Amino acid sequence: MSGLSLHAVRKRFGDTEVVGGVDLDIRDGEFVVFVGPSGCGKSTLLRLIAGLETTSSGQIHIDGRDVTGEDPVKRGIAMVFQTYALYPHMTVATNIGFPLEMGKRPKEEIDRKVAEIARTLHLEPYLQRKPRELSGGQRQRVAIGRAIVRQPGVFLFDEPLSNLDAELRIQMRLEIARLHQQLKTTMIYVTHDQVEAMTLASRIVVLRGGKIEQTGAPIELYENPDNSFVAGFIGSPKMNFLSAEVVGRTGSNEVVVSALQAGLRDLTVTPRGPAPAPGTPVTLGIRPEHFLPSPDQSAVGGTVSVIERLGGVSYVYVQLPDGSVVTVERREHEHIEPGQVHRFAVNPARVFLFDNAGFRV
Amino acid sequence: MKRSVVQSFWLALSGFGLLLVIGLPFWWVITGSIKLPREIIGRVPTMIPQSFTLQHFQKLLQASDFLVYLINSVLVSVASAIIVVVLAVPAAYAFFRMRFPGRNGLYRAILLAYAFPSIVILIPLYGMFSALGLIDSPLALIIVNVALALPFSIWMMRSFLSNVPREIEEAAVVDGAPPAVILVRIMIPLITPGIASVGIFAFISAWTEYLFASVLIVSDARRTIPVGFAGIIGQYQIDWGLLLAGATAAILPVVLLFAFVGRWFVAGLTEGAVK
Repeated sequence: MSGLSLHAVRKRFGDTEVVGGVDLDIRDGEFVVFVGPSGCGKSTLLRLIAGLETTSSGQIHIDGRDVTGEDPVKRGIAMVFQTYALYPHMTVATNIGFPLEMGKRPKEEIDRKVAEIARTLHLEPYLQRKPRELSGGQRQRVAIGRAIVRQPGVFLFDEPLSNLDAELRIQMRLEIARLHQQLKTTMIYVTHDQVEAMTLASRIVVLRGGKIEQTGAPIELYENPDNSFVAGFIGSPKMNFLSAEVVGRTGSNEVVVSALQAGLRDLTVTPRGPAPAPGTPVTLGIRPEHFLPSPDQSAVGGTVSVIERLGGVSYVYVQLPDGSVVTVERREHEHIEPGQVHRFAVNPARVFLFDNAGFRV
Repeated sequence: MKRSVVQSFWLALSGFGLLLVIGLPFWWVITGSIKLPREIIGRVPTMIPQSFTLQHFQKLLQASDFLVYLINSVLVSVASAIIVVVLAVPAAYAFFRMRFPGRNGLYRAILLAYAFPSIVILIPLYGMFSALGLIDSPLALIIVNVALALPFSIWMMRSFLSNVPREIEEAAVVDGAPPAVILVRIMIPLITPGIASVGIFAFISAWTEYLFASVLIVSDARRTIPVGFAGIIGQYQIDWGLLLAGATAAILPVVLLFAFVGRWFVAGLTEGAVK
C-alpha cells in the first residue's frame, strides 16, 4: 500500500498542453476517481502516474519516493486497461502469472498465487483457456487478476468497464468496490461515467482541460460544487441552469433572485460567500430532484415535452415560456402527459448561485 | 451485408475471370509437361491433353542437372528466407517502437534502395565479391538475395507489428517485461502471419532471382534453377517438353511451402485481447 502525490505535473504533446499543472495528494488506501469529459486529460494523468508517458515538468512521488523518471515496473503500480490488453496467445493462468514470471519468482510461488487469485475472481474453471474463449466480464477479471497478482502499492484503472454491457458493468463495479474493501490498496480509477465515480470513489477529482476543477467526497461535490462545471457534471440527470438576476437582499446575507424569463420570481437564496449586489446577473443551478410539486396555479410552469418513466421516479422535461427546457423529477405517479402544462415550485434551500464565469457565489 | 442474386452473379463471374487469368498459365505449363512433343508443337493448341507421357520428367531427372539446380535453389532460397526473417523482425520492431535520432529519415531511405536498378550494382558487387573470394559461392547469392529482399520485408513486417494493439505492449511494460522479452514473448507470437508472409516473399524472390545468379555463379554444379534452366533453351532449338516439365517441377517446392506455412495465416490472432 502506498500514498501518492503529484506536484505541478504537466504534460505537453507538441504545442498542446494536455495536463496543465496538477497538484494532488492521495492518501494510502484511498479510492480516487478521476472524472471528466473526454479530452480532459484524465487518462493522460493516469498514464503519467503509471510511467507510460513522461512528464513535461513536475514530480510524481509514490510512497514518498520520487518516481518521476522511473520505469513503470519500478513504481510499484499495476494497471488495468480499458481494452483489457490480455496476451491473446497465452492461457489465463500464464496471463495472470506473467508479472511474477517477469519478476523471476519461483514457479511454485507463481502457481500458488495464480490459483489463489483464480479462486478470488471465480476464474478457476478457465485457467487453461485462451482469452478469446472467455466472455467480456471474464476477460476483465483476468486483467484485474494480472494486476493484483504482484500486490502493487497502487492500482490504476483506465476506464475498465466501458467495454462491457450495462448489466455486467454494474456487476463488475460491485466487484471492484469489494476488491478495494478486501485489499485496502490505493486505487486510482479513470472514468467519464459520473455514476461509476459517485458509487466507487472515496474521493472524486473532477478534471477539465487538463486542470483539476474540484476534489472531494462524492456527496461533497454533489452538495457543494465549486462551479457550474462540477455542478453540471456530478448528478444525473444533469443540473438545470437558468439565467437570473439578483433583485434584492435580506438582512441575514440572503439574496432575492428572479429568473423572469423562465417565470421564477423572488426566490430567497443563501449564497456561499458574500451576497452579490442587486442587479448582478447570476445563474441558478437547480437539480431535477429539488423541484417541488405545486398545486398553486400561479407557480412556475411550462409545457411537458417528454416524460421518462423509470418506475420509481419519472423525469419530466418541461419547456418554459422562454424556450429553455428543465428536467423535473417526480416520485408520485401523477398523471402527466406530453403537451400538458406542468407546474412546480423550487426548494430555495437547494438552489445554487453561479456568477457569469461559472464560479459559485 | 446481404448480397442480391445479381450481385452474387457478377461477383462469381469476376472471380471466375480472375481465376482464369491466374490459373490458365499454370494449367498450360502443367498439362504441357505431360503431352507428347508433337502435341506440344501441334498447329492447333489443345487445352485438354490428348496424349500422356512422363518422358519429359524422365529426361529432366536423368539426362539433365535439374536435381543439382533444385538442391542449389532450395539451399539458397531457404537460407535467404530465414536470414531475412531473422533480421527483419528486430529491425521492423526498432523502426516501429524505439525512438532514435534519424528514425523516420532512415525508414524512408530504406525503400530508396529499390530506386536503383539491380544491373547498376551488379558490376561493383561483382568486384566486391571477387575481392572477398565469394565468386561462384552460394554464399554470395544468399547475401545478395537477403540484401534485395530485406528493405521491403522490413516495411511489410512493420505494418504487421502496427496491427498489434498498443495496450498489449504497454501491459507488458507495466508487468516488467524488457523490450527483448516483449519482442520474443508477446510480439513474435502475434505476428506469425507477418513472419510467414515475409518468409514466403523472401523465398520466392530468391527462388526466381536470375540476374545475380547468372553472373556470380560460374560453374554448372552451383547454378540455381532459373540460370540452370536457361541453359536448356538452346541457340537453335528449344526442347519445349523438357522446359515445361522443369517449370512444373520448379513450381512444386513453392506450392509445398505455401501448404506448409499456410496454416500460420490464421485470422483473429489477437482476438480476445482487447475487446
